[in-house]
Amino acid sequence: MRRLNFISSCLAGLALSTPAFAVEGERIQVRGEIIDTWCYYSGVMGGPDAVTGSAHHTCALWCSAGGIPVGLLAEDGTVYMVLKIEGDDQSASGDTQLSLASHEITADGMFYERDGLNYLVVEKVVTDHGITNLNHEDYGVVPPFAIPKPKK
Amino acid sequence: MKRFSIALVFAAFATSPVAAQDFSEGSEAKTWNLYAEIPATFEAEVVDLLCTVAGDCDNQCADGRQLGLLRSADNALVYPNKNSQAAFTGAAVELAPYCGKMVDVDGLLIEDEDFPIKNVYLVQKIREAGSDDWVKANKWTKAWAKENPDAKTVDGKAKGPWFRRDPRVQATIAQTGYTGLGEEADAALIKELFE
Repeated sequence: MRRLNFISSCLAGLALSTPAFAVEGERIQVRGEIIDTWCYYSGVMGGPDAVTGSAHHTCALWCSAGGIPVGLLAEDGTVYMVLKIEGDDQSASGDTQLSLASHEITADGMFYERDGLNYLVVEKVVTDHGITNLNHEDYGVVPPFAIPKPKK
Repeated sequence: MKRFSIALVFAAFATSPVAAQDFSEGSEAKTWNLYAEIPATFEAEVVDLLCTVAGDCDNQCADGRQLGLLRSADNALVYPNKNSQAAFTGAAVELAPYCGKMVDVDGLLIEDEDFPIKNVYLVQKIREAGSDDWVKANKWTKAWAKENPDAKTVDGKAKGPWFRRDPRVQATIAQTGYTGLGEEADAALIKELFE
């Protein structure tokens, strides 16, 4: 029983003292679109297919400039929360991420997973493929007010 | 018996009740009518995400870096994607004054096992641990206005939402259009939408 208590204490202690720096990184190369994560995850503006690509480009600019985290939506559907791009750690409203809004890129960097979220530190944008998801042909513009009505 | 006891401890640990903890009790968060929202209030340490996740700590808590919430109850790292304002604004500016400190937060967790998504958060209120005074997480637009004192007009009008007046957004749209594909693609879409 004493040993049981000892093991319990050790495990409890382990849980409480888990260091913040507990994530093991893995080097990966991944291709995907730089997206606005809030619209993608929350569904606030519609389904996932509508809040990516050219249809959502202006909103992606707004959200990136507004400090909403950007993600990389990989070809297999995995979303990586992007924390840094080529040395630019300004992941809340930064210039580098703004310049890549809606672009499909091939990124080389470090991947981390913690508590159900994937994180990516992009060390190099190997290729910027530009905007390749031309979904404005299907969805128009999302949200509809992103393009102001032209003045006559 | 000894082996059984040890296994029992491991099993109890693995299925710790905090894994399925309900953080909605006591929450006063306002609904956004999002399909996966769950009201949630909890105590957490405000942490620099690059430092906590990747060990990149030289510049931790500096302006422009994303911040996380290391929840006290289960050591889960929660990512606040959004502040309480409606218009395309994140949470880092709201949390920056508290980086490295313990806080209580109230807001909406976005959780959906099927999507899947977990530990994404919309923060509505923050208070330093031990304080009774909640602070609304709605300071982003004021901070933007302070940094962009000359961004006062849109289409010649004196007022307009920040996202219409932001100089970087305006410059990007001027260069590549609302679709990002250039003038020709924009023109065709505008014709389809408005004519």
